Amino acid sequence: MTRYLLRKLGEATLVMFGVLTLIFFIQRLTGDPTFLLLPETATQADIEAMRHALGFDRPLMVQYLSFLADLVRFDLGRSVIQNLPVTDIIGSRLPYTLMLAGGALAVSCLIGIPLGVVMALNHGTTFATVLSSLVVAAQSLPTFWSGIILILIFAVSLGWLPPSSAGGFSHLVLPSIALGLLSMATFARVTRTAILDELSKEYVRTARARGVGMGRLVTRHLARNASIPLITVAALEVSNLLAGAVVVETVFAWPGLGQLTMQSIVSRDFMVVQGVVLLGAFVTVVLNVMADILYSIVDPRITLSARPS
Amino acid sequence: MMKRQRIIAALLMSASLSWASAGAAAAKDLLTIDLVNEPTSLDPHVQWNPDSYFVYRNIFDNLLTRDDSGAIVPQIATEWTYLSDNEIEFTIRDGVTFHDGTPLTAEDVAFSVKRITDPGFSSPQLSQFNSITDARVSADNKVVLVTNGAYPAVMAQLVKLSIVPQHVVEAVGNDAFNLAPVGSGPYKFSDWSRGVSVTLAVNEDYWGDKGVFKEAVFRAVPDAATRMANLQAKAADLVVTINSDMAAQLDGRDDVKVLSVLTERVAYFALNAQKPPMNNPDLRLAVAHAMDKEGITEGILGGYDEPVGQFMSPAHFGWVDGLESPGYDPDKARELVAAAGEEAKVPFPILTSPVYDQRVVQAIQQMLTDAGFNASIEMTDMATWLKDMQAGPEGIPVSAFSRWSCACQDADGILFPTLHSSSGWASAGDTALEAALEAGRSTLDEEERLAEYTKAQAILNEQNYLIPLYQAAIIYGAAAGLEWTPTPNESLFLNRMDWAE
Repeated sequence: MTRYLLRKLGEATLVMFGVLTLIFFIQRLTGDPTFLLLPETATQADIEAMRHALGFDRPLMVQYLSFLADLVRFDLGRSVIQNLPVTDIIGSRLPYTLMLAGGALAVSCLIGIPLGVVMALNHGTTFATVLSSLVVAAQSLPTFWSGIILILIFAVSLGWLPPSSAGGFSHLVLPSIALGLLSMATFARVTRTAILDELSKEYVRTARARGVGMGRLVTRHLARNASIPLITVAALEVSNLLAGAVVVETVFAWPGLGQLTMQSIVSRDFMVVQGVVLLGAFVTVVLNVMADILYSIVDPRITLSARPS
Repeated sequence: MMKRQRIIAALLMSASLSWASAGAAAAKDLLTIDLVNEPTSLDPHVQWNPDSYFVYRNIFDNLLTRDDSGAIVPQIATEWTYLSDNEIEFTIRDGVTFHDGTPLTAEDVAFSVKRITDPGFSSPQLSQFNSITDARVSADNKVVLVTNGAYPAVMAQLVKLSIVPQHVVEAVGNDAFNLAPVGSGPYKFSDWSRGVSVTLAVNEDYWGDKGVFKEAVFRAVPDAATRMANLQAKAADLVVTINSDMAAQLDGRDDVKVLSVLTERVAYFALNAQKPPMNNPDLRLAVAHAMDKEGITEGILGGYDEPVGQFMSPAHFGWVDGLESPGYDPDKARELVAAAGEEAKVPFPILTSPVYDQRVVQAIQQMLTDAGFNASIEMTDMATWLKDMQAGPEGIPVSAFSRWSCACQDADGILFPTLHSSSGWASAGDTALEAALEAGRSTLDEEERLAEYTKAQAILNEQNYLIPLYQAAIIYGAAAGLEWTPTPNESLFLNRMDWAE
C-alpha cells in the first residue's frame, strides 16, 4: 500500500509539472493582457510602461522560472485584473464550485442509479426502452439551453425558485439539476449494465431459488457488487462536473471556479487560469487515487500493488 | 415513500418562501442591478471598465461631473478659473465629508491628482490624465492644476477624476483600499461578496442629492438571457447590456420597460489607407457609398442606434450640424469598383472579435461583396484585435469594424487617436488633417477649435480614411417602477434614480 502510494505520488508530481508547464506556455503564445487593461486612448509609451509594470516584458524563461520559484513557496501569484492574490480568489470561489458539484452529483446519483436499476430489472420491455430514450435525451440537452429553460419555467413562469446567483439552498436547486442531468444518464447506463451483468451470475439464481425477494436481492447483494464500475464513473464524473460547470455557472451567474475560469481566459488573467488548471489537475489525480483505494475496500480481491498489472 | 415526498415538498416550499421574501424586500428599500461582471476593482484610480465604474462612481465624488443634459457642472469643485493657458484654479466645496467622517480637503484633491498621474502607480487611466503635470494646494480650499500646454479637453477628462481620502489610502495601502473603499459619494461601500455582488448603503449625510434607496446591490450576471430572466422574475430592478431583440421581448409587458440612450460611442468601419486596395481614394469612396447605415441601424439594431455622417456624435464637442460623409449609393459604389479594375479585386480581411455585434460585421461584408469587393471576415480574440489595430500603418489590417469611445465627449478624444500619426491606431498619414487636429487641441478658444474640427471633418469626408457608421445606443431593461434617465456617458448614478409604485 505504501509503495503504491509513493509510486502514485511520483506520477502525480510528474503530471502536475507537465500540466503547469503546458498551461504556462500555451497561454503566453496568445500574447499578454496589457491591451485589455488600458483604454483605447493609451499611447504606445503607456502600453510599454504597463507591460513593464506587470513583468510581461521579461524573457519567457525568466517569467517561467519566477513562476516555478513562487510555486515552490505555494504562491500562485497575483491576478493582474483583480489585483488580489490568486489563492484568495480561488479560495473565495471554491466553496461555490464544491456546493454545485455536490448538488449535481446528488441529482445525478439519486435519479441516475435508481433509473439504472429499474431499467435493468425491466430489461427488454417497452418501459425500459422508453426510459432509456428519456435518459439519452436528458444527456443530449446542451446546458446553456436546458439552464435557460429551467430558469424560464421554474423562476419566471412559476416563481418557485430564484433565477440566478448564489444565496440560500433555493439558489442551488436549478443549477444542480441543469448540471446533474449531464451525469445522470451516465450513472443510469453504467448502473443498468452492471446490474444486468450481476443478474446473469450464479449467486443471483441461487438466491432467487431460495426465495429471496427482488428488493432484498438488489439492496443486499447486487448494490455492493455493481458499485465497482460506479466508483470509477463517479471519480470521472466529478472531473466532468467541474468542466461542465463552466457553462452552467455562467448561465446561472453562479460564482464558482467555472465562471472564474471563463472570465480569466477571456481577460487573459494568466495567473488565475494557471491556478484553476493546477487545482483541476490536482483534484483529478487525487480522485483517481481515491477510486483505486476504494476498489480495494469494496472488493477485497483487488489489491493495490506497486507493480503495474 | 409518503414521508420522503413530504420532506421534498417542505424543502421546496421553504426554498420558494425564502426566495419570495427576498423579492418582496427588493421593491422598497433595495435596488438590485444586474451587471455583466463584478467590478474588477473599487479603487477608482486602478481599473476602468463599465462594471467597475457603474459601482464606484456612487461611492466617490468626482472633481466635476456631467448633468443629465451632458453639460460639465460642479461636483467637488464649485468653480474654476484659468490663471493661464496651462494653469486652472479650482475652488473646493466646503462641508463635504468622507464616509469615515473626516472632511474632504484641497489636499485630498491634490493627492488624488498626483496619485493617478504617478507613472509608478501604473493607473490604466494614466493616458486620460497625463497632460496634468502638477497639482498644488494654493489656498485653504483651492487647488491649481498645471497642464503641459493648453489642453482644452482637460475639463472633459476631470469629470472622471474621483477624489480619494489621502489619510485612508496612506494608512491602509492600495490593496486594502480596493477591498474596503472610503469615498464621499452618495452611497457607502457595505459588502463585496466575491463573484456574487457588491452592496452599497445610502450615505445619509451626503452633501448633494441623497439616494432614495437604502441599499443597492450590483450583481454579476454574465449571461444576457439570465439577466433578462432576472428582470422578468422581478429578481432584478435594472439590467445592463441587452440587445434590441431582447428589448423587443419586453414590449407589451406592464411590469418592465426598456430604457435606452444614445451614447458617445461611435461605430465606424476602419480602413488602412496605406494598404491595397484601400490606398486608392476612389475605392475608399466606394466603401463609403456601399455602407447602408440606415439598413444596419433599422434592420439589424432595432432602431435604437442613429446613423451619423461625421466621425463623432452630437454628444461630442466638435459636432457640426449638417456635415455629411458620402451617403449610401450602391450603384456609384459598383461603378467605382468596376472602374478600378483588378486593383479592387485584391482580397482583404475584415478583422473582428466576438465583442462586436457579428450581425453588423456580416452585413458589412455583404455590402462590400455587393459592391464588387473581395472581403472576408477574420475573427480573433479581443486582445489580439486591440494589438493588431494599434500596430501602426504597417500592421493595421486593411479593414475592421470598430466602436470608439473616449468617455470625454470631445472631438480631440476621438479624432486625434484614430487619425494622427502619433497614435498606433492611425494610418491616414494626412499632413493637412494632422495640422487641424493639432491646432484643435492646442487652443482653449472654442470657436477656433470648432473651426479646426470642421476643417478636419471636411478632409475626412473627402478622403474617407474611415467610414463613420452610427452613434451606438445602450439599452437597459428596468422594472416599471424605476424612474431614471440614462445618460450618454454610460454611468449609473443611484442618486439620480427614483422609484414610483
